[in-house]
Amino acid sequence: MNYPTWDVPLIGSVWVVGAIAIFHVMISHFAVGGGLYLALAERKAVREQRTDWLEVIRKHSKFFLILTGVFGAVSGVGIWFSIGLASPESTSALIHNFVFGWAMEWCFFLVEIATAGVYYYTWHRVDARTHQRLGWIYAISSYGTLVLINGILSFMLTPGDRWLAAAGTGTEPAYFWSAFFNPTFWPSLALRTLVCCSLAGVWALVTASRLEEHLGELKAEVIRWSVRWLIPSFFLMPLAVLWYWSEVPENSRHLIQAGVSTIGSGLFTQVTRATLVTAMTSATILAIAYFLAWRNPRDFHLGHAVAVVFLALAATGSTEHAREMIRKPFTIGQYMYSDGVRRLQVAELNRVGYTTASPWNHSLDVGQLMFRGQCLNCHTLDGYRSIRRLLNGRDRKGIANMLAILHDQPKTSPYKNFMPPLAGTPAEMDALANYLNHLANEQQAVAGVSRGATHP
Amino acid sequence: MATSSYPAPESPLRSVYRWADERLGLADLAAFAAHKRVPQHAHSFWYYWGGISLLFFVVQLLTGILLLVYYRPGKEAFESVRQITYDNDFGWLIRSAHSWSANLMVFALFVHLFSVLFMKAYRKPREFGWWSGLGLLSLVMLFGFSGYLLPMDQLAYFATKVGLQIPGMIPGISGMVEDLVRGGPQVGEATVQRFFALHVVILPLVFLPLLGFHLYLVQKHGNAVPPGEARKPAAERRTIPFFPNFLAQDLAMWLIALNVVTILATLFPWDLGKMADPLAPAPLGIHPEWYFMSQFQLLKVVGVIVPGFGGEIAGMGLFGAATLFLAAIPLIDPDSRFGRRAKIAAWGGALVMIGMIVLTVWGYAAL
Repeated sequence: MNYPTWDVPLIGSVWVVGAIAIFHVMISHFAVGGGLYLALAERKAVREQRTDWLEVIRKHSKFFLILTGVFGAVSGVGIWFSIGLASPESTSALIHNFVFGWAMEWCFFLVEIATAGVYYYTWHRVDARTHQRLGWIYAISSYGTLVLINGILSFMLTPGDRWLAAAGTGTEPAYFWSAFFNPTFWPSLALRTLVCCSLAGVWALVTASRLEEHLGELKAEVIRWSVRWLIPSFFLMPLAVLWYWSEVPENSRHLIQAGVSTIGSGLFTQVTRATLVTAMTSATILAIAYFLAWRNPRDFHLGHAVAVVFLALAATGSTEHAREMIRKPFTIGQYMYSDGVRRLQVAELNRVGYTTASPWNHSLDVGQLMFRGQCLNCHTLDGYRSIRRLLNGRDRKGIANMLAILHDQPKTSPYKNFMPPLAGTPAEMDALANYLNHLANEQQAVAGVSRGATHP
Repeated sequence: MATSSYPAPESPLRSVYRWADERLGLADLAAFAAHKRVPQHAHSFWYYWGGISLLFFVVQLLTGILLLVYYRPGKEAFESVRQITYDNDFGWLIRSAHSWSANLMVFALFVHLFSVLFMKAYRKPREFGWWSGLGLLSLVMLFGFSGYLLPMDQLAYFATKVGLQIPGMIPGISGMVEDLVRGGPQVGEATVQRFFALHVVILPLVFLPLLGFHLYLVQKHGNAVPPGEARKPAAERRTIPFFPNFLAQDLAMWLIALNVVTILATLFPWDLGKMADPLAPAPLGIHPEWYFMSQFQLLKVVGVIVPGFGGEIAGMGLFGAATLFLAAIPLIDPDSRFGRRAKIAAWGGALVMIGMIVLTVWGYAAL
């Protein structure tokens, strides 16, 4: 409760982060895979003395520079901005533990972004060997950023036993490498590398599809070469997924399976459904890549390529959504809950109170403060995961009973695997029940709660 | 080196093809497909909608068969759908795909209907194609109406109850509706049983031969070209081979349609309401499915202008007149010689289409 809450009506702060992150993943993974694509394509063209290929690669590098240098960089900053507002406690915890990692990532990123510009602007201005070296510097530095970010992202799902044993002692940064090379680091890196290669091929199809009709033979060659970048995913992705699956915690596996037999377990069956969308869209990309691009490269037009990009966006979006969801109820596995409360803090907060130490409690009533601190991070009033809808017509007593289940977390609780324990004293629980009853049964719209700017 | 006098061995795949070809005449079929050509012009996009409708029908056929494995009509109808939706592995997905493809099929059929109308593809010699298409659309709407009741939840119960009141108002047949369709004075187990028989046996028995007839006519007469294209000299008209070019594009459209069904079915699965309770009050804003909304709103509007029984008859008369007009279009505008008749068909068709859209939007806005 040390930070102000960010109230985003209808979609919630969670989807502001989600929308920026999905867009960023599409671009940033292309930035990594595309670097390797450019380096290898230029190597092939120089070896085979294909000046026509070099011209295609030059044009592609311009598209690459604009897309990754502008949209990738801007959306990357957007992620920092939005996660800082949406989950300040988690962001703070990550910075405190990984400041060294992020410093390294920024070094790699600076080299990456500078080399991308130099690579494009030195076409035909430096000798071929130097230019190829620039391509390789870019490819290596961009892959370095992926490795570092992957360590931090996979840490959030599986921090590992050694780091967790030190959590809360103030010595966590001493376990940097153990946290970095956490149980899902390698399978996650394998998955992301395959995605990078696939996206390199997918985005290259956009450039290749725009080659003029009189360059039919060249277009066919470039399109087929680009389609080959999807082949590693076709064969290795199922294996990488199984590897990842074997390393994720039992609770996360349960979340993925929850939606196989039902749509009835609240919103968490969405994880299964999102996974199905990934499977369907990925299979469609492969079908289009084979039947339209590989078999008929000359007839492969920009419309086809854009369709593949949108399918890739759907696949990326649903995968990232599922990956975020399987971490529930934590933002940092076994350490920090999705409402920013540390697992080890809960007993203390139950004893002394969740709102007592809050600097904001002079301006809001306790119930609203509890709602803002522990509900609004994942729920909205009337939109995504609507509190009013989920209260489902409960009266004051029904609401209090539900809050008691969330607080006590009995073994039979249907919410236990998905939602953090509700922390607070009996008086705070009572105030929250009153506030929720007020929202659900006494008014249809609370003007104040949807105007984040008017409150801290 | 001595050479063998034996022929080179055939690949296994080639052997299988030859075996099948000798018995089924596959080579003739391939040769026919290679010679068949499809016109290419600015309006070619509309050619795909018949095929898309067919894909949605295939999805319904397959998912419907899977639903049949668990669905139990009669007393246990609701419970069996509850099990499919909440207990059986991927039951919710099969049910959602069935429902979404049904709705998408109706939408695709309407697009197909009006694209055929505005491209004047009902003209000689394609009249029977138009009539069989209208027949298929009517049967599909009956499929939708009969399938809607089968889960037997609150919404299905009351929507069917309201829906059956409409034919029940027609003088002379109201008693027959009660006896034959509803199976009694109230919608109940007997109605579900009858609707089930209609949905999975009677309608498919009529639909499948009619679909076969429609496809035969499409095959026989080929794709019609719109009048503007037909007026061009033969040398300026473009065509592409049906196999593999058009078929590849058709399959790509199928792939897109399949993705749409899957994404809708997975992200917005079809929910199930509370079990039907005849004694409970009807849910607020009860209304039919979207493809019956224009008729529903028409009856409401005419009922306000002409209150009472006369209004109901007038409303149904208007709806009947629009249907008759659509059926008579090939007779009104039989070929390209009749300029004035062609205009009546086009403007009349536009009026029906705009009327349906306006009434549907109005119907939802008025809920």
